[in-house]
Amino acid sequence: MDTLYQLMDGLAAALTPENLLWAFLGVLLGTAVGVLPGMGSAMAVALLLPVTFRMDPTGAFILFAGVYYGGMFGGATTSILLNTPGQASSIATTYEGHKMALAGRAAQALGTAVIGSFVASIIGTLIVALFAPVMVSFALNFGPGEYFALTVFSFVAVAAVVSGSVLRGLTSLLIGLAIGLIGIDAQSGTARFDFGSATLLDGVDIVIVTVGLLALGEVLYVAARGKSAADFSAIRTGRPWLSRGDFKRSWKPWLRGTALGSAFGPIPGSGAEIPTFLSLGAERRLAARRAARTGEENQFGKGAIEGVAGPEAANNSSAAGTMVPLLGLGLPTSATAAIMLAAFQQYGLQPGPVLFERNADLVWTLLASLLIGSVLLLVINLPFAPLWAKLLKLPKPYLYAGITLFSVLAVYAINTSVLHLVVLIVIAVLGLGMRSFGLPVAPALIGVVLGPIAENEFRRALAASSGDPAILFESGISLGLYGLVLVAAVVPVLTHLRRRRKARPGAEHEPVA
Amino acid sequence: MTAQETAGAAPEHAQGSTPAAAPAADPETTVWTGPTAWIMPGLVTALGLVGVWGGLTLETPPNATRPGPGAFPLAIGALLLAAAVCMAVVNLRNRGRAGSGLEWFEARPVLLILAGLVVHTALLEVLGWLIAGALLFWIVAYAFGARSYLRDAVVALSMSAAVQVGFSLGLGLVLPGGFLGMVL
Repeated sequence: MDTLYQLMDGLAAALTPENLLWAFLGVLLGTAVGVLPGMGSAMAVALLLPVTFRMDPTGAFILFAGVYYGGMFGGATTSILLNTPGQASSIATTYEGHKMALAGRAAQALGTAVIGSFVASIIGTLIVALFAPVMVSFALNFGPGEYFALTVFSFVAVAAVVSGSVLRGLTSLLIGLAIGLIGIDAQSGTARFDFGSATLLDGVDIVIVTVGLLALGEVLYVAARGKSAADFSAIRTGRPWLSRGDFKRSWKPWLRGTALGSAFGPIPGSGAEIPTFLSLGAERRLAARRAARTGEENQFGKGAIEGVAGPEAANNSSAAGTMVPLLGLGLPTSATAAIMLAAFQQYGLQPGPVLFERNADLVWTLLASLLIGSVLLLVINLPFAPLWAKLLKLPKPYLYAGITLFSVLAVYAINTSVLHLVVLIVIAVLGLGMRSFGLPVAPALIGVVLGPIAENEFRRALAASSGDPAILFESGISLGLYGLVLVAAVVPVLTHLRRRRKARPGAEHEPVA
Repeated sequence: MTAQETAGAAPEHAQGSTPAAAPAADPETTVWTGPTAWIMPGLVTALGLVGVWGGLTLETPPNATRPGPGAFPLAIGALLLAAAVCMAVVNLRNRGRAGSGLEWFEARPVLLILAGLVVHTALLEVLGWLIAGALLFWIVAYAFGARSYLRDAVVALSMSAAVQVGFSLGLGLVLPGGFLGMVL
């Protein structure tokens, strides 16, 4: 109960007209930036960092909270409407969300996304506030061996569960892992695959890979498809509100997604990608089971609202969850969290157990501002959802020219380096090739993000045990995760065999990403 | 590199029987047919070879702990080669099966956009964001079939200008001014 009072105090401190204005501005800016392809909330927070330097910490963090949530909703918007997620955490939403848009249910997809985000961030923030100490002690149990098991688990989950073909999913993952190898090796300082270029020594920035594979790759792919490409002008935005049926189908995925996101958010390295994909997979399987049992139509592959509601809720609750290691340990678990850490340091604050003691009021204000941000997200974006949907009415040449322009801008803005643009073009061509041959892009992104973490933890574990691989299988957590890996690897193969036995049912899965 | 290969291979692959066969089926489960089926295995093989080569030739610092910096590249390279072999086996098994190949692939707009990107990259710091950005916008719009040149140019310039103003004033991001920046 003590924590609830503290949260109330934080709320009282955060609820000033000025701070509400910052939160409002943050949500608006975050959504606007998040809607731009290739620019997620991490980018928005990063761009705002210099601007907030003169603000007081409370106002700045409230602004960031608004940007964080707004950016995530913006990412969901582009995933649904344009099939170009702005950040890795909204990739899972594209699968069913864009199908819904193509089926004329874009507004419902946006509606379930924004309400799901609201529900998830409220519950997620409360969970963080109530269980922060417990979750911190759980996350502290993770050694390098457990981290490595966690990354292996994510690899298999993403490559095998999400993609239509296991071989192609794994190949995409390996391509991502290969890209992740570029740059200076963190353990030994050896330059790897830099091909004599100083730009590549720093590795390929995740923004370049995201923009190249997703946004620019998509532009090239649509150009290559020519007349056979999907026609956006046929997409109707429809009624902006959820019908009772939509609500009934959405609320359980919201809660399940929230649970997954809250569980995975605090685990370092897992980010928002794993819970969103796990949520998508869980909803897909549940829908199939429902269809088998009650004969209710399984809409997965055709635009199932569950496939938007679940991942979007997971996305936001995991964002709240990343606050636990960030505030409790000073450990950022996502790109956005990393930039928020930089923001803390800008004010001379070092997140960690000490922060809870010395600046407890600030911590609780930040948590309260997350609540305010999510309320404003609902208030601002539910009425505006159809307005964002109007994006599709733009003439196609201008829309794609605009996406290209912003893609180039996003990459150039990282470091104002033209060489980054060269890397971008190469990766965009790779993205075109992967799309043309039906290789899913998402596993490659996961590989780029988690590959270096996996390698680091693997080598740290072996260094700690002086080369004895037994350390990887020592703890119950690792063994449990490897057990899940086996399940995740075997289930798709079994369903694949069963499907093949059923005499080729044709286009059961739909094109993805 | 893929686009050029693909672009070169696409016209040769015109023996398909149904020209109007739009790829409605899932590309992720579509069977690769024709000579273009070998592009992806080839690319993955090349990546795998680079990985294995790097893993074997990396200079390991003498004080590095084992496994050294070469272990992961070697493993990933080997796995990439294995994936390429699997793809090749799948291709061989599907030989002679009817499929749509890549005949839907239109190389011209793709090459146009890539040319636009290359030009933009090369000239960004010379021309400045305003002109280089507008040029990129215009070329991409043209590749997507926009043909009212003057209106496109106006839209392109205003987009590019809006971005420059918005980012310089609002977010403090400095975009290159180019020769215009020197004149003004």
